[in-house]
Amino acid sequence: MSTVTTEERSDASRGTRPEASSDVARLRKGRTSARKARVAGGKAVLVVLLLGFTLFPAFWMLSSAFDAQAGAGGQQLLPREWSLSNFEYVLTEGGFDVFLRNSAIVAVVTVLASALLALLASVAVARFRFKFRTAMLLMILIVQMVPLEALVIPLFVQVRDLQLLNTLLGLMVVYVALSLPFGIWMLRGFVAAVPVELEEAAYIDGASWGRMFRSVLLPLVMPGLVATSVFSFITAWNEFIFAMTLLGGASENYTVAIGLKQFFGEHSNEWGYIMAASTIITIPVMIFFVIVQRRLSSGLVAGAVKG
Amino acid sequence: MSNTLQVPTAAPGASAPRAAGGAARKSLLTRSRPWLLLAPALAVLAVLLLWPLVRVLLFSLQDYGLREIVSGEPNWIGLANYGEIFTSPELYTVVLPNTVGFAVLAVAGTVALGTAVAVLMASLGGFWRTVVGSAIMIAWAMPAVTGTYVWIWIFDADRGIVNETLQALGLQDEPVNWFTNRYTFYGIVLLNVIHHGFPFVAITILAGLLGVPKEMLEAAEMDGAGPWRRFWRIIVPNLKQVFAVVIILSTIWDFKVFAQVYLMPGGAGSNREALNLGVWSYVESFGQNRYGFGSAIAVLLTLVLLGITVVYVRTMLKEEEL
Repeated sequence: MSTVTTEERSDASRGTRPEASSDVARLRKGRTSARKARVAGGKAVLVVLLLGFTLFPAFWMLSSAFDAQAGAGGQQLLPREWSLSNFEYVLTEGGFDVFLRNSAIVAVVTVLASALLALLASVAVARFRFKFRTAMLLMILIVQMVPLEALVIPLFVQVRDLQLLNTLLGLMVVYVALSLPFGIWMLRGFVAAVPVELEEAAYIDGASWGRMFRSVLLPLVMPGLVATSVFSFITAWNEFIFAMTLLGGASENYTVAIGLKQFFGEHSNEWGYIMAASTIITIPVMIFFVIVQRRLSSGLVAGAVKG
Repeated sequence: MSNTLQVPTAAPGASAPRAAGGAARKSLLTRSRPWLLLAPALAVLAVLLLWPLVRVLLFSLQDYGLREIVSGEPNWIGLANYGEIFTSPELYTVVLPNTVGFAVLAVAGTVALGTAVAVLMASLGGFWRTVVGSAIMIAWAMPAVTGTYVWIWIFDADRGIVNETLQALGLQDEPVNWFTNRYTFYGIVLLNVIHHGFPFVAITILAGLLGVPKEMLEAAEMDGAGPWRRFWRIIVPNLKQVFAVVIILSTIWDFKVFAQVYLMPGGAGSNREALNLGVWSYVESFGQNRYGFGSAIAVLLTLVLLGITVVYVRTMLKEEEL
């Protein structure tokens, strides 16, 4: 280090900047090769730490779910007694077979209804120019930010007035509304990415608007529709506050997100069961998440290379 | 028929709305088509999102309890609910610190960790980038409810791994109940929220990082700028928009954490020290049947989020036109 400073000082006094910088560069090159190894080592440590932090909860969930003695205390990193008994209990006596069915019904109906409504609305905002269009888009954007805690009180009263408390129908109606703004917002981009020339070609061939929609627009927007649907599926599957409020009294209608409460006892919690049930809930979400991630990027790329 | 189409956008939101020049020539069906397409969605949104928003505002001006729900008779009390909120000592000592303080820490933590991970991922080779990307995807995909239960299990007072490890290492003599103390309680919530929230930040910023021109970074390196300086002087200014969007979205999400607090032991109102705005509103409404008072709290939370949203929309509009 001292040589660098003296050299630099002497160079500076002579005023020969180019030489100085080449010296510094040579010196730095010598240092970088030595430093490279240290940087690589540091990076490896960081990656290991990051993977540990990121994966530990999921790993711990799985490890406890497969351990017949989970919650008995003294648990090690890997199950001491591998077994599927936690899953067995959860899916039979635990009632998760019913909760899974309820959640699947709610999610599928929500997905179908909101996909249809969102597709029609997104075609309107992406393909047509009309009064209040911008205002409409802003409203859709803002409405997404409203906290569920603010909606849950009036919607509880509303669903109660309609005699739909403790029914899956009441929950589905609410979920359709909750997933619509995001669906419209996302599909709008996918619809806009479809080249207009294709639509015009369909008109030239004598197609009506409806025919064009079915045969040209719909197939091209399909990847976007799938991605959006997966998102509304995940919303409906994970949602907690409305399920808890609207289904409070009817445990036979519980969805998976609130079904977990069953395993919390007064004095002790059945952690093996809770983790097994959590695993069952998490797996479909993870699968769908991977799908949507790919679809989304492919949809965006498809939009970028428009005809 | 081609005149049914008015100049459409070439790319998502690329052009501003045009003045409808040939509107007079178009048939009624053509003109009303966008509205026909929008009608079902708008009807649902109006009945299930907009009307409830109006109603929560109306409830907040009433003494709305079980009796009012059953009879449907309004009992207007003006701004008394808001008066009660703002004179409640709980608001200043517990709820606001738990909401605002938590949001500040959570946003700072999420964005800092997410950015660090993005920088790390950008410097990795293809294989390890995929590994890290998949791992953080798993953390992201974990539902909030199950993720919260896993963290509760990890910190469980009786048999959680944290207590057992600390005892095995001799760092504490007997199990600690991490959920009764307000600060450790929110420490766990913070860990949970950051763990669940940083992947979005990392992926978004990584996409931005890969778009920063390589030449700029190389030129800066030639000029002798170290990694720290390159980050603050080149990457941050280049990704200003991305950072703005990420920070604002995280703020909105972290202000309204609900399940992560409510599901924790004592989080559902039995531990008053752990209340935040959202949980307070819910507990007052559905625990005490004081729907009017709860609505007033919810209105305040909504106003805060609306303020942040306006900033968000402005940022978005700068980036692209609707």
